[in-house]
Amino acid sequence: MSSAVRTRVPLPGVGASSLRSWAAALLVLVCALLFSLPFWVTKPYLLHMGVLLFLAVIQGQAWNILGGYAGQHSLGHAAYFGLGAYTTVMLFERAQISPFTGIWLGVLLASLVSWGVGAITFRLRGPYFVLASISVAEIIRLLALHFKDFTRGAEGFLLSALPAFQLGPLEIELFSKRPFYFAALLVALWTTLVSWLVQRSKIGYYLQAVREDQDAAHSIGINLQAYKCLALVISAGFTAWAGGFYALFVKFIDPETVFGIDVSVQILLTCIVGGIGTLAGPALGALLLVPLSEFLRNPKGLVQLGLLSSDSSLVRLVEERLSHAHSFVYGLLLVVIILFSPEGLWGLVKRWFAPARGEG
Amino acid sequence: MQMFFQAVLSGLLMGGVYSLIGIGLTIIFGVMQVINFAHGDLVMVGMYVTWLLFSYFHLDPFLSIVLTAPLLFVLGAVIQRVTIQRVLGAASENQILLTIGIGLLLSNTAMLLFTSDYQLLTTSYSSSSFSVFGMSVSQPLVVAFAITGVVAAGLYAFLMKTDTGQAIRATAQDREAAQLMGINVSRMSVLAFGIGAALAGTAGALIAPTYYIFPQVGHAFTLKSFVIVVLGGMGSVVGATLGGILIGIVESLAALYLASGLKECVVFGLFLLLLLFRPSGLLGRART
Amino acid sequence: MRRLSNQIGHSWLPSRERRLRLLVAYACLGVGIAGCGGGDKPKEAAKDSPATAAPAGPVKIGFINSLTGPEAPIGENLTNGAQLALEDLKARGIAVELIKQDDVGKPQVAMSAMEQLTTGDQVSAILGPYTSANSNAVAKLAQQYKVPQLIPVASKDEITRQGYDWVFRLNAVATQYAHSLIDAALSFGQPKSIAFIYESADFGTSVSAAGKLYAKEKGLAVVADETYQKGAPDYRSTLNKIKGAAPDLVFMVSYVADAILIMRQAREVGLQPQAFLGGGAGFETAQFESERDISNLVFSVTQWTPGMDWPGATDFAQRYQTKFGKKPTYHAACSYASLVLLGETAAKVGGDRKKLRDALAEGSWQGIMGDVKFESYDGYTQQNRHEMAVIQYQNGSSVVVFPPSKAKAKAVYPFPGWK
Repeated sequence: MSSAVRTRVPLPGVGASSLRSWAAALLVLVCALLFSLPFWVTKPYLLHMGVLLFLAVIQGQAWNILGGYAGQHSLGHAAYFGLGAYTTVMLFERAQISPFTGIWLGVLLASLVSWGVGAITFRLRGPYFVLASISVAEIIRLLALHFKDFTRGAEGFLLSALPAFQLGPLEIELFSKRPFYFAALLVALWTTLVSWLVQRSKIGYYLQAVREDQDAAHSIGINLQAYKCLALVISAGFTAWAGGFYALFVKFIDPETVFGIDVSVQILLTCIVGGIGTLAGPALGALLLVPLSEFLRNPKGLVQLGLLSSDSSLVRLVEERLSHAHSFVYGLLLVVIILFSPEGLWGLVKRWFAPARGEG
Repeated sequence: MQMFFQAVLSGLLMGGVYSLIGIGLTIIFGVMQVINFAHGDLVMVGMYVTWLLFSYFHLDPFLSIVLTAPLLFVLGAVIQRVTIQRVLGAASENQILLTIGIGLLLSNTAMLLFTSDYQLLTTSYSSSSFSVFGMSVSQPLVVAFAITGVVAAGLYAFLMKTDTGQAIRATAQDREAAQLMGINVSRMSVLAFGIGAALAGTAGALIAPTYYIFPQVGHAFTLKSFVIVVLGGMGSVVGATLGGILIGIVESLAALYLASGLKECVVFGLFLLLLLFRPSGLLGRART
Repeated sequence: MRRLSNQIGHSWLPSRERRLRLLVAYACLGVGIAGCGGGDKPKEAAKDSPATAAPAGPVKIGFINSLTGPEAPIGENLTNGAQLALEDLKARGIAVELIKQDDVGKPQVAMSAMEQLTTGDQVSAILGPYTSANSNAVAKLAQQYKVPQLIPVASKDEITRQGYDWVFRLNAVATQYAHSLIDAALSFGQPKSIAFIYESADFGTSVSAAGKLYAKEKGLAVVADETYQKGAPDYRSTLNKIKGAAPDLVFMVSYVADAILIMRQAREVGLQPQAFLGGGAGFETAQFESERDISNLVFSVTQWTPGMDWPGATDFAQRYQTKFGKKPTYHAACSYASLVLLGETAAKVGGDRKKLRDALAEGSWQGIMGDVKFESYDGYTQQNRHEMAVIQYQNGSSVVVFPPSKAKAKAVYPFPGWK
């Protein structure tokens, strides 16, 4: 990197070249491990958790583009998640369109809708934008509940058997969790890649400018509406893919589950806890939150994995007292992080590395 | 036509309770510029406290307000002092996130303590009603409305006539100037949050006889109270009062003429329009 | 640490690079441990194939129920009924291990509970869930994983109309709820119109859909059709609208809290039809019964009451009352009967899933729910043809008023109005 670049506000993740090569090695190692996991691990529960983890990463990275880079904290991303889910499912159940095509149509629809939403709501600033984003998601949820003939309302959709996935000459049956695992992993990596590219590109710089000071950015000629909308469209697209994937994986959706405000809060939480506006943030957040919430919901899952014995007192404690405590823990984490480390886990990690910043 | 008036009347009574919640939120926003996402959960706490007092001590819900309100005041003051005070200078996004976290803590503590079962309060007058011009009026809601009126009037008097009240208003008007005039603005912030919480808790106590109580019941109120506060103008007590009543009536009429499933949609749609075209609301001052 | 670094430069403290190397090492170690815990057989990842091996020791039965959440008050009846069943089975020397899972009233949680029970705990059969929505979701998985499922009390017709040969249902279906209620009303008087108000998920929708169809068949005019969402406790406007349509009958399908609030608010707005017809569930609970101001003279359809003349019914009711301090609802009876027959049959076949399925399909039992036999008819598969009765709350307790062969008291019709 030339010194001219150095004088600008440094983008997170940029460091000395030797550090970067080690980080790259770590990344490659982790990827190799993740890809090979299903071949030497046989407990389906671990794959299940992996899928949930990757899903959280996808949603987090997607949100981060709008919320982290552009600084527009949308609390209405459930709208796009749900649109992706419902489009995929409704096209499959009602029009017999293959879910593998349907999911992309869901992405398209959500992107279009998000563009419209952006056009309307981006003239609002700060907390007003947050409130508007919530309203949009709630309106969509209520409409989905109300128009029962179209969406089956509160009954939701229980998916019928999924067809096999055709990959060229290969036909992949979807009974086990493995194909879901790989699909989710690939898209998680892809989303992270896109986030990285956005961050390093001109778009990324403009978004950052918008985040730091909208009026100043406007005064130097950045088209606020266009760039914010662009960030939202990319973000919504990936979120919708995650929604469609979720529907195919869990096989049951209803308006509360996919359009509910809990979905939006969870996405937000992943990014905040991990480190907002950073590349590693959503991944770290997902890594902490997903296993934690799974453990609290289902401590026997860890017993299955052989990490705990089935009559350990920890398992019993969680089962009896804390079985629905994952939301409580989320709340606690959120409060603690905001108060003591607003830059999230990644902020803590960076601080651990910071003393040696003077070197190399 | 009869049904129209009946709907307006029911909406008016419910709206009174909404107003109380909205006033609490608007005071908090006025003084601290913080959008309190945990506000509905404070209402929920009020409902549970009322339910506990009723179940274990057989205390009438309306009478127990004397205990509930101060309790919620203390809770609000503690929350403000321990957490919100620290982020008053930070970005508004962080403040929102913090209050979301607090809301999650409140609703989930309730869930851990009481499970998510629906609880019902049954008093002797829970289903009583009397007839006014052929329209049926819910007795507990009328009492609730009356109490709301008294509390709102009392609050207004407090803010206008007493020194502390005026200090709070001064802090809301211009924090720095108030500080320069010797007002302890942090104390005012704590007071404001405490009052806001007490009002929310009182509202919870008032509707407890006619609702069912469960940990997530607060969420619907949070969103609705935002609409009310924006409608009435952030920081305006009178605005929040009118806004609450208006929203109550709009909701009731929407349920009658459209469908009960769409009534909240109408409220949110109204909210979006407000945010876009008249963010300062009916009676608020324009803020950037 | 910071200070030392700056002063000494390349200190003996780990540099950034060394720390990174350490991190990589720890990561490998951590994943290695997880892998050792996770991998056991070097075979294919587990396909969803049935485990038909019979476990030694007590028969394991999975019980999915709404232990918490809005359906919990009724779920409790199911739990209690199951507990009595376990005691009785034990007294007869049949060892059953009941593994409970909470579905929180949500279908996707029921589905993961199902997965946990079948693949993790390796149960021989599933009892439950409670609600129609959850039962339908689990039925799909039961068919997929080939695990016998016995549904005690969920009413949605469709569940046993999908040709699932691993799914059995003890209770009568939604269509039956509607037929019994409307036939009863028509036998007491001559109503001409009917209004529906019901919760918007599977249970409410299925029972009222059957109701609307049957009403039209019987020449009743459907004058109102209103749904409401769970967790939205203000029904005044809806009830107002219904009042405006002046129906002779009001057909309601709700769970506990809504049932009580709807009746309270119906009283408030002054809704006075010739009869209030409750579709079971919330209208058939001790809590509803105890709200005398509003439950008086309300009808409800029921799968079972303590006064039924089936073998052991009264005895069961007494024991339940003694043990749990309240009257059992039909949910408790259904759950009891289901677990008794499931436990018995599972023990006989040694816990083998396939054999259990076959035994359930062929067997017949008598108990507190009368005769039970799972038959296929009219598009239903493995559905027990259970009779329903209609009760009315009179003077604070429920009495059977229909069908005439089982009636213990005369129905009070029409509704004399709110006091």
